[in-house]
Amino acid sequence: MQLLFEQLLNGLAIGSIYALITLGLALVYGILGILHVAHAGVYAVGAYVGLWLYSLSGTLLLAIPGSMIVCAALGVAIERFVYFPLLKYPPYVPLISSIALFLGLEEVCRIVAGPDLLTFPAHLPFPSFTVGGVFVSSTLTAVYSVTAIVLVFLWFVTTKTEFGLAMRAASQDMEVASSLGVDSQRVVDATFVIGSAIAALAGILVGIYYNQVYPTMGAMPAYKTLALIVVGGMGSAPGAVLASILLGLGETLLIGFANIPMPRDALAFIAMIVVLMWKPTGLLGRK
Amino acid sequence: MLLDVSDLSVAYKGVSALHSVSLQVQEGELVSVIGANGAGKTTLLKAIVGWEPAASGAISFAGDEVTRMRTHLRARRGIRIVPERARVFTHMTVYENLMMGVYGLQNEVQVGERLDRLYDLFPILKERGSQLASTLSGGEQQQLSIARACISKPKLLLVDEVSMGLMPRLVDQVFELLQTLNREEGLTILLVEQNALASLKISHRAYVLETGDIVLDGDAKELLADPRVREAYLGV
Repeated sequence: MQLLFEQLLNGLAIGSIYALITLGLALVYGILGILHVAHAGVYAVGAYVGLWLYSLSGTLLLAIPGSMIVCAALGVAIERFVYFPLLKYPPYVPLISSIALFLGLEEVCRIVAGPDLLTFPAHLPFPSFTVGGVFVSSTLTAVYSVTAIVLVFLWFVTTKTEFGLAMRAASQDMEVASSLGVDSQRVVDATFVIGSAIAALAGILVGIYYNQVYPTMGAMPAYKTLALIVVGGMGSAPGAVLASILLGLGETLLIGFANIPMPRDALAFIAMIVVLMWKPTGLLGRK
Repeated sequence: MLLDVSDLSVAYKGVSALHSVSLQVQEGELVSVIGANGAGKTTLLKAIVGWEPAASGAISFAGDEVTRMRTHLRARRGIRIVPERARVFTHMTVYENLMMGVYGLQNEVQVGERLDRLYDLFPILKERGSQLASTLSGGEQQQLSIARACISKPKLLLVDEVSMGLMPRLVDQVFELLQTLNREEGLTILLVEQNALASLKISHRAYVLETGDIVLDGDAKELLADPRVREAYLGV
């Protein structure tokens, strides 16, 4: 019982992290219809920049916002200089560029920071406590809190602000939104800023959670998040969050708790195949 | 002159769709452009709203050239469109759709007053305010699309094939509404229609577009009586 509870807490944390990474992908797909594979590269860069700023300054209060700003700028640069000129071509063209960009970002991390695994020995100033004999570490509470804050922030922006309304409108019909006075360029920029900044946050959290940062840390998220946006429903941010949390819990319970001998990373793809067969629009997808 | 399109050519997907089209709309007028499917009517509106770039020629609006201006800036100047098939935001509520109509104009437009006015004209929108727009019927979506375009009190309303897919009874209703908006609010309307009879009946003037060229134009009543128009577009 206690083990189950512990596994549930871990699964929730892993699911939360998946959600933070997948959100950016879902937002970008929603607005541009592009599979932004390089997003996982942005996430790895976020971890590295966070670690670098942390080792320079010794405080996460500087490292986290700093890394978020760098990644937001990187995201907008990718959008402006890579995707924007390619939007007039069929969707596989930006997809191929995105994969190339992802591999390029991995190599940049390797060249700049070296191929070795680095540790991220930061302490997250969140409380730890014991519930029913189960220890909830400060790292876990940090992951939960940060995810909750991000989700509430996104919910507020998209449902309660005029600009958020415009973002939702543009993701449904960019042309019509612009004919109502929405500057589509600004909406697209904002989408990349938000998605990339959250990816930076996820990169830092993962670095601290596993105490490791390495050049290929984006490889697994790169393909797993693709499966997740399919499961959640293409372009649906709530669907992406739901699918991520379920996958985190499912991976931990099925493989960690029930000891089913299956590579844990396979579960996302099994889920994707099942969803495609049973409900191709995804859990919360639109038509 | 509110809208002055001069020698406008537009290529749509690499094929020339409009050849040197010239067209004028005065303030307060209701003007229609009639023509068969594929004549370039929709392309004309797309060029005016900024969805399709002009290959050559000029579009000026309220005295300023807007030919290369981006769509959202034209919208801010008061050009609004009711697109073909309404294109409401189906995953947003009816009320949110209306609020998109005053995006960025909350301080310039008396939103409450405008809502009351539009709810008078389209009572269904008040009733269905909190429903998703996808739950509306085709005719209701057209009404929402018109209301969304009109809530900001635009200077020029472009209407693209509003009768398409509507039952005949609804077509009359929608055209009557457009006429009301034109008469009572002084809204200038440029209407593009395959349903020549219904649109000529409510228009002041009209243009006939055939495969990218304006072949005829004049007073709507005269065009209604013109044998060429009657034969080609009114089926008599």
